[in-house]
Amino acid sequence: MNYTRKELVQSEATMNQIRNGIYHLERFMKNNGITEIRERFRRMGQNIAYTYIKFWKPIDSINKSNVKDVIATLYKNILNSSVSIDFDDTQRLIIVKDNDCPLCKYQYEDVQIAACEIIAAMVAEFVFLVNKESIPQSSFSLEALDIKESRTLGNKSCIQMYKYYEERI
Amino acid sequence: MGAVQWLLKKITKVFGRSTNSLFYTLLYREILKEINEITENEEDSILILREIGKKAATESCERHSGVFKWMPGSPKKVLDYFELLWVVVFGKELAEGDLDYEEIHKEGSKYNDYIIKIKTCPICAGYGLDDKDTFDFQKIKNVETEGFASGLTGMLESVANFILKIKKNDYRINIVEQKCMAKDEHCLQFVCKIYDTVEWKELSSIGVQDRLKSGVKFEEIEEEEIIQETKLDIIDKLQEVLSLDKIEDLLDQPLEGVKEKVAEIIQDKLNMEPAHFFDYFRNYEDDMIRIMGFLTIHLLNEYGGFVEKLLNNETFAKIAGYFFNQLKEFTFLFIPIDVINDYHQLLISFLDGLAPIEMVENIRKFSGKDDIKFIFEGAQMALENLGIDFSEIKENIWEELRKERENGLISSEQSMIDKTEEKFPKFIKIIQELLMLFSEILTLPVRVLISESHYGLKTAVNSIVSEEEGLFGRIKDRVDIIFDYIQEIRR
Repeated sequence: MNYTRKELVQSEATMNQIRNGIYHLERFMKNNGITEIRERFRRMGQNIAYTYIKFWKPIDSINKSNVKDVIATLYKNILNSSVSIDFDDTQRLIIVKDNDCPLCKYQYEDVQIAACEIIAAMVAEFVFLVNKESIPQSSFSLEALDIKESRTLGNKSCIQMYKYYEERI
Repeated sequence: MGAVQWLLKKITKVFGRSTNSLFYTLLYREILKEINEITENEEDSILILREIGKKAATESCERHSGVFKWMPGSPKKVLDYFELLWVVVFGKELAEGDLDYEEIHKEGSKYNDYIIKIKTCPICAGYGLDDKDTFDFQKIKNVETEGFASGLTGMLESVANFILKIKKNDYRINIVEQKCMAKDEHCLQFVCKIYDTVEWKELSSIGVQDRLKSGVKFEEIEEEEIIQETKLDIIDKLQEVLSLDKIEDLLDQPLEGVKEKVAEIIQDKLNMEPAHFFDYFRNYEDDMIRIMGFLTIHLLNEYGGFVEKLLNNETFAKIAGYFFNQLKEFTFLFIPIDVINDYHQLLISFLDGLAPIEMVENIRKFSGKDDIKFIFEGAQMALENLGIDFSEIKENIWEELRKERENGLISSEQSMIDKTEEKFPKFIKIIQELLMLFSEILTLPVRVLISESHYGLKTAVNSIVSEEEGLFGRIKDRVDIIFDYIQEIRR
């Protein structure tokens, strides 16, 4: 009898090799003329969230008052990362700083798109999927905006930017 | 399992960057799907996934090549270490009895072939049940094409061959996934074949690009030249040395005897001078001491896995965590600094003459307190490894008693402890402070007792003839009996 995906939620796996693998995938994409690598990475993140949420979700409804804790929980439980989270209310931004991003560790001169695009898209999709099912439905949502800094690109940490909407976009 | 294999497995797990296994598996799935988006050919996608796995593992091995110098240098031994390879690649231990091993005799060849069966495959877990599991294995018609674990197989093959290369062995291993659970087969099965230089070159002569039917471009890894085999195989020889009976022999002898014995073993078994051996740890002296703490906990656990079993229970794990933290704090309270410094001096005396002067000097710069701190850090890593989540343990046990947050979310606020502390009833704080005060007062007689027994023991050891002989054995017997009782109670 093989493992179930639910059982996998309870265990851990080492990222060292697969992290390198993502950048070899990016090179493979580039070599074959794929230009929308960022979009493809984001699609990967969304698909991960789509399946993952069937086995675990942090809470039943997400709004502005709990989104910080939800993000901290997602990063901790899925990625084993302790992140710092800041709000910029004027621009409606959420800025997540991860000093130990599981998908970025070494700088690659030949890489322009950081793999934490996958993480940002996954987190935003998680929020969307949780609220889609919430009763009463919450209109709060996140948009993965940009990877402001990444260790892959030579920065000291990874900074993922999200824009939040309190009404459906 | 040999001590070094066991140690490497633990260290690999502790020092790797891990995430949740489901995230890993889904990311792996997405990589394959993205490859297939480009190739539009399932057989090619599986092949490219394998090659990406190979590249990824080679890159990782090259970064940490020092670690692999401790691995065995013959293909047969590398395969014996398959479980360790699995942990290096996947970071996840195989469940007991999950791995089956079969040797297939190969006429006229130095090495036989090997079939490795793994009953549970995390990569294939639940595959096909979700709308996003869109890679269709039914489209694969060629029976030679590997399965979902081809990327993992590529990683395993690369790590195995990297070890052989770094150990200057001229044989190489070809690992192929033969059965895949995502293809409705009952287990994950690998076939491992060992080739010499000529055969390996022949096998590698048909490049990946030539095997791809879809016309996509793939840059292959360039195989580096193979270096001729040498007789140096540190790890195999260390395995002989690090058996528990040898360690017990060493413990029975006083310092100079131990030093002589250690020097003899290093020269005899490793064909190297002790200074050369200890040179491996030069500038990593603190890590060497941490490993002592790490090993102590794991050696305790080796006795029937009792520690690990105990820590499987969340409540026991928390209690043990608090006890450990308390022990850390109390060590310096209860053990006089002179005693600690004496043991530090003992470590220096042990290394003096065996290790390079620079290393001894580096250790001399540490204080006895530093040694204890490093040992506790190592022990903490081992305890984390065995199930204690120290990140969940509050600053003190009283905070643990408070009601958990109702929504189960992790707070994003760094200062949450401070905030909740304000609300925390003051009288509990007073009790805590009173307890600490009593503990500190109580340390005084204990300090006197420890000092007395320490210096008493020193005198006894220095004037020893035979009275102490057999004491270690008797203690071991008693511990055996205690463990037997515990086992009976658990039954």
